[in-house]
Amino acid sequence: MKVKNIISVKNLTKRYADKTAVDSISFEVRAGEIFGILGPNGAGKTTTMEMMEALRPIDGGEVIIDGINVAKRPSKIKHIIGIQLQSSAFYDKATLSEQLKMFAAFYGRNINPMELLNEVELTEQARKYPEKLSGGQKQRFSIATALVNNPKVLFLDEPTTGLDPQARRHLWDLISKIKARGITVILTSHYMEEAELLCDRLAIMDEGKIIATGSPRKLVKDLLARGFKKDQVVEQANLEDVFIDLTGKELRE
Amino acid sequence: MKATLTFTWIQIKRMFRDKMAMFFTIVFPLIFLFVFGTIFSNSSNAQFDIAIINNAGNDFTTEFIKSFEKKDSLKIVDVSSLDDAKEKMGRGEIDSIIEVPAGFGEPNDQQIPHGELAVYYDEAEPQAGQTLASVMSGVLDEINIGVTKIEPPFKVVQKSTTTTGVSQFDYTFAGLLAFSMMTMSIFGLSNQLPSEKKTGALRRIKATPFRPRQIIIGMTLSYLVLTIVSLSVMIVVGTLAFDFDMHGNWLILAAFAILGALVMSGFGMAVAGWARNENQSAPLTQIIAFPMMFLSGTFFPRFIMPEWLQSITNWIPLTPVSDGVRMIVTENAGIVELLPQIGLLGAWGLVIYLIAFRVFRWE
Repeated sequence: MKVKNIISVKNLTKRYADKTAVDSISFEVRAGEIFGILGPNGAGKTTTMEMMEALRPIDGGEVIIDGINVAKRPSKIKHIIGIQLQSSAFYDKATLSEQLKMFAAFYGRNINPMELLNEVELTEQARKYPEKLSGGQKQRFSIATALVNNPKVLFLDEPTTGLDPQARRHLWDLISKIKARGITVILTSHYMEEAELLCDRLAIMDEGKIIATGSPRKLVKDLLARGFKKDQVVEQANLEDVFIDLTGKELRE
Repeated sequence: MKATLTFTWIQIKRMFRDKMAMFFTIVFPLIFLFVFGTIFSNSSNAQFDIAIINNAGNDFTTEFIKSFEKKDSLKIVDVSSLDDAKEKMGRGEIDSIIEVPAGFGEPNDQQIPHGELAVYYDEAEPQAGQTLASVMSGVLDEINIGVTKIEPPFKVVQKSTTTTGVSQFDYTFAGLLAFSMMTMSIFGLSNQLPSEKKTGALRRIKATPFRPRQIIIGMTLSYLVLTIVSLSVMIVVGTLAFDFDMHGNWLILAAFAILGALVMSGFGMAVAGWARNENQSAPLTQIIAFPMMFLSGTFFPRFIMPEWLQSITNWIPLTPVSDGVRMIVTENAGIVELLPQIGLLGAWGLVIYLIAFRVFRWE
């Protein structure tokens, strides 16, 4: 089976006056997979994403998404991607279904907001304002707005940061469902557990450089091959398992 | 186009759900309307507060004083003595004192009633005294004719133009409408958009194919709707509560108001589009709005300014707005008479929107 790459990033670079935020990175994303970009804060994850999304000028290198050069045709790119931004908000005093209609209109589309809200399990909140939503609901709504144009690629920037374990698991389910629809997902995270569970392949970034790429399994295998040994015996459960076991998987909103 | 209209419609809905926005659209202009309306509707029918000292106390004098009470322009204030009245006049509570001397109206040698009225007035306000003296002469002239049965061959007939012309309230009201157009557009826009840049709502839209010019057009249209609502409320209340008398054509007023509001929104939009946050937009708004407010003749007429200042304030963008509205409302001006105003507004509109499209920043 030949794998088709939907995104190709070559020598992508972003320079600021005092430092190089993204330092000539290259990677490929396969169609239909969930690709994770992992790294500590300040590693350049968000800057990389924003350059790929045509939200930030590219200083060097190139990004091709579905055959379209991002730097050359930014408006064309906007039509085929969906974006969930890390630091964004929605208008207050406009209901969820009003906002979804508005976002669809931005793409020249007509949608039934209830269908999308059903997909992210927010049908009951259709007439609420975003400011009345819980953290998890906000993230799910944000993903719904990113889906209005039926994108080929969905960008999620730290979608689960700040959520409680239940809401996080709920969002993981949603992301898996989106992948099942055939949408390619690129997400950033600094939760290893999340990456291990969700991502087909990932890139680990630090100080503007990609220091490793591959499937989670391959990366662990490579590490062990280098002779790595954990000091402790691997536990059969961890504290998060205890927390979920005690408090249940039910979403608290 | 549909995207812009959908965006506009959402903005309008949001504003009507926002209590703060509604306060500034409806309540705030009405407060101004009531303050100015109360001040100017009283002075429009020039009432004099007078005190009458009656030293005569005969039937003739009683009848004479009664004839004053029927006059709308005179309000008789009770006083205990001439000194009390003079004190009140010193404090500005009354404008004038009329002293009827003892023996007023008593027959003279020819058996004709006669007498001399004294009208006291404040040195600082000679006009009030003169006006009142002439009112009194008028009253006495009629009595003289009645007594002597001789019609004087020459007379002066006083004709007031204010009854058929423009009341002071109408004049002020036109200025208030212009003022309201400016505050709604400039203060409203330059407050809203920068704060939405800060929350990240605009950032999210930046990620879609929606363009800056569509934001500018959409925001302008939504503020136009809001301004029209605000002006309509003012006109309804002004008509019901203060007898606002529209001398011009409503359609021309509506069209001119839309042009004025659009140009004013351009200023709000240029500031709001440029500013990254409210800290940048607030001072810039003040710099633009306050000179307009005081120099464009919205609140006090520009003809009291020195010539050199008038020649500058002629060109301020709010000047054609307030002049134009005033010309329509008080002089029934048509499109042709308004051409200088429309031309100047058109020029300002072109310039300010070019700037607004240029300086817009998403965040």
